[in-house]
Amino acid sequence: MGLLEESLDDNVLTTKVDWLLNWARLNSIWPMTFGLACCAIEMMAVGAAHHDLDRFGAGAFRASPRQADLMIVAGTVNYKMGERVKRLYDQMPFPKYVIAMGACATGGGPYFKYGYSVMKGVDRIIPVDVYIAGCPPRPEALLEGLMKLQEKIKRTPVVRRPANTI
Amino acid sequence: MELQAIYDTLTAAKVAGLLGCDEPRPSNKKEKDPGRSGLPFLMVDPAEIVPLLTACRDMPLLQFDLLIDLSAADPAADGEDLWVLIQLLSLKHRHRLAIKACLPKSALIMSSATAVYRAANWHERECSEMFGITFEGHPDPRKILLPDDWDGYPLRKDYEFPTEYHGISCE
Repeated sequence: MGLLEESLDDNVLTTKVDWLLNWARLNSIWPMTFGLACCAIEMMAVGAAHHDLDRFGAGAFRASPRQADLMIVAGTVNYKMGERVKRLYDQMPFPKYVIAMGACATGGGPYFKYGYSVMKGVDRIIPVDVYIAGCPPRPEALLEGLMKLQEKIKRTPVVRRPANTI
Repeated sequence: MELQAIYDTLTAAKVAGLLGCDEPRPSNKKEKDPGRSGLPFLMVDPAEIVPLLTACRDMPLLQFDLLIDLSAADPAADGEDLWVLIQLLSLKHRHRLAIKACLPKSALIMSSATAVYRAANWHERECSEMFGITFEGHPDPRKILLPDDWDGYPLRKDYEFPTEYHGISCE
């Protein structure tokens, strides 16, 4: 078999299916084009050349929830917008992830007490994977949040996932 | 033209609804008088707002061709009045005018200024949803910022914050 084995050596990798699928997933987290307030400006900075979100494979901002994997809730969510955010989240295909960026999306931020129209955290309507502190967070903080999300995806079992999970 | 001159011009033309003219602000900045901060203003009767604004717009000496702002304020929770505040600017004469009308909280209704200044349209919609003022004759009296089913008038001092909205807790 000498000849065939030698060529397999160069062309075949053995790995775990979970590892392979997660590797593909976490290096192509496409976020949705979607910003609500000043945090979105920082998010745009992360997408631009200096911080370069594309290094993580997450720079392809999709203009449709149907093509997006990640929802970065970048800004103040009020009740009127919250219902739209929920609908956009529901329109995203699985697997989907949410980053609550900044104080407002995390817990209402400076509007917590007197913001009659501001939702006290986006996790009241959709499940959040990663929270990022800051008002607004530095671009580096968003990058770290994304890396945290990648770590989380890396830990997720795909083939033998527990019952009742998606 | 200064405020006093504008007031005199309007009085000479026998324009209805003029109630008075605010004195110049105290020069001592340490004296705090919340009602007097900002531009000196003209007190007017809200019932006569449309003929008054028409006169301000059309009189050759005044020619206020721009409505800068139309807003409202609730000065005190136990007060009886809301203020409706209007600011005008004349691009030709380079002068400004601030107008204040007191509306009793028991009858929050006045004529819409949209017939005189079309810019008043959205401003009045906002005043309407934030303070509960009804602008008679407004062409499009829907809410502008708040959801259609919002209860209460958020910028009123006696506003009570909602405890839930469509099943989402607000606490």
